[in-house]
Amino acid sequence: MYSHEGEDIFVIDGHIHMWDASEENVKSKGGEQFIECFYDYHTGFTPEDRQWTYDEYRAYDADRLKDDFFTNGVVDMGIFQPTHLKDFYHEGFNTFDRLGEMADTYPDRFIVNGRFDPRDGEEGMQELERQANVRDMKGVKVYTAEWKGESKGWRLDSDESYEFLEKCVELGVKNIHAHKGPTIRPLNRDAFDVADIDDAASTFPELNFVVEHVGLPRLDDFCWIAAQEPNVYGGLAVAAPLAVHRQEKFGEIMGELLFWLGEDRLLFGSDYALWNPDWLVETFLESELTPAQEAEYGVDFGLETKKKILGENAAELYDIDIEEQKRKLQNDDVSVEYGLESMYSNTVGGAVADD
Amino acid sequence: MSGADSHQRDDRSVSQPVIREALRPVLDPELDESIVDLGYIDEVVIEPTPSADRSAVTVRFTLPTAWCSPAFAWMMASDAHEAVSTLSGVETTEIILQDHMHEDEITTGINTGQPFEAVFPDADGGLEAVRASLDHKARLARQFDAVDALLKAGMTPGQIVSLTPSDITDSSGDRTHIYLQDGSFAVSAPTEPLTEYLEMANEEGCLTGDDEPLFRTPKGEPVSIEIFEQLHRRNRSAKVNVNGQGTVCEALNESRRKALGRSDD
Repeated sequence: MYSHEGEDIFVIDGHIHMWDASEENVKSKGGEQFIECFYDYHTGFTPEDRQWTYDEYRAYDADRLKDDFFTNGVVDMGIFQPTHLKDFYHEGFNTFDRLGEMADTYPDRFIVNGRFDPRDGEEGMQELERQANVRDMKGVKVYTAEWKGESKGWRLDSDESYEFLEKCVELGVKNIHAHKGPTIRPLNRDAFDVADIDDAASTFPELNFVVEHVGLPRLDDFCWIAAQEPNVYGGLAVAAPLAVHRQEKFGEIMGELLFWLGEDRLLFGSDYALWNPDWLVETFLESELTPAQEAEYGVDFGLETKKKILGENAAELYDIDIEEQKRKLQNDDVSVEYGLESMYSNTVGGAVADD
Repeated sequence: MSGADSHQRDDRSVSQPVIREALRPVLDPELDESIVDLGYIDEVVIEPTPSADRSAVTVRFTLPTAWCSPAFAWMMASDAHEAVSTLSGVETTEIILQDHMHEDEITTGINTGQPFEAVFPDADGGLEAVRASLDHKARLARQFDAVDALLKAGMTPGQIVSLTPSDITDSSGDRTHIYLQDGSFAVSAPTEPLTEYLEMANEEGCLTGDDEPLFRTPKGEPVSIEIFEQLHRRNRSAKVNVNGQGTVCEALNESRRKALGRSDD
């Protein structure tokens, strides 16, 4: 648990992966280009001394992930968002079942979301039920721009999609994380479109729609929709690392998001291993709006706001009582292995910052 | 090789700077910025041809990712082809897109004059529809800059929504003088955001006449004073979006060029 300016900050990283893009697992040229592109994102927004080598980056195991999350104790919990991509990788890229092993080993540290694709039809419906039965699943990740055979993607507001969303309601899966943003093979401009969120969100007020990557490059459309739909949230994956070298641009984007959505509907996500939360959380905490941006947007990006974005808002969506969770984490295997027990006692914890 | 000697070649109108200047107006349609300024151009090659006074020009370019939208890549390649091939000293033009998942289709398609829809029959919607939606976004972002400049110059929202294209014709270089209240006084504003806005508004086709309102809602209607403030904020988000996406692409471009060994530094 991170301690900043004398306050404990409970961090739930809302968007993480454990992927395998090893040479043996790559099935097609697309799979190779996909991980290359990820690596460009990684190096483009990671401080030089924290960059991984390309080989490390292709595939990493549970130990590496655990070290990256818990060595300096900055992150308390993570939410896995699966990305199957079976057209690209023989065994899939970042799959529900592989992620599940991690959550089974460290049940209080990781949440694994499911996934569905309405184009899978009845089989897909059964798979969604299976996933929900395997674990107490509260969320799914959906990837509307994914290619499948002849199809170039699907819309969240289609009839087929609504059948799956109805099933989610029935199964108690209430958080729908939609990947909208940097995408695979966007043959059509519409791969980025966020308009389908609008209808889906008004049709299913009991569900929460978390738009990952805050819709970049459709940030403006996203903000406008979110301003009108109270159950639409923004996931900061990709946006947060702009704070590294592009503080001014990061400030503008935060200004827009806070202006249109407010501080209760934004979730931090490192997109690990695109970026490492151990340094990204700190960078995020230290970032500020310029005085001109504060005046322009009239919003507060102080510590209370950051605490909400870093953990409290996700805790709300995933029914986590932070105080109770701290008690659970105090003596779990991770705390014992990394010596984090004292952080979770009632006193101010004090994760060791890098510097 | 031909008998063209170096003296003759130097006399040709086509040179590296001439080609780069010709390419400068070619925009990345999503970022609304020049492909030259964005650093996408890898190489310009100018070679002699048998017709002694004209050259064969080859331009190679690379985008920030291998899967930048093929529609956007096509527009840039097509605009670049047109910009170079219409120069008087150019005999043949070849535009080569490198390291893209559809590099062969796009390079061949552009250089043999095929339409996008023929090369990508499975793309939904035509290229013109894509271009129109990007022009629309660019217009909103440019409208923010123009209106912002006018507010900073001291104009009121009421004065701004009453402006027409014919009000902003009196520009002397960097500044434009806008006459208000039947010409009794003038406001001076920077010219660039105004002309850039006009250019894109004309491109989008949302203006209806020189004496009709200059600024428009997203749907192309005149702006009422009641919605002025909220519209300005929406346009601000369009501007922030284009800036934010530009920043992401810039970083990807730098990383990719390093990895491909094409870094400038």
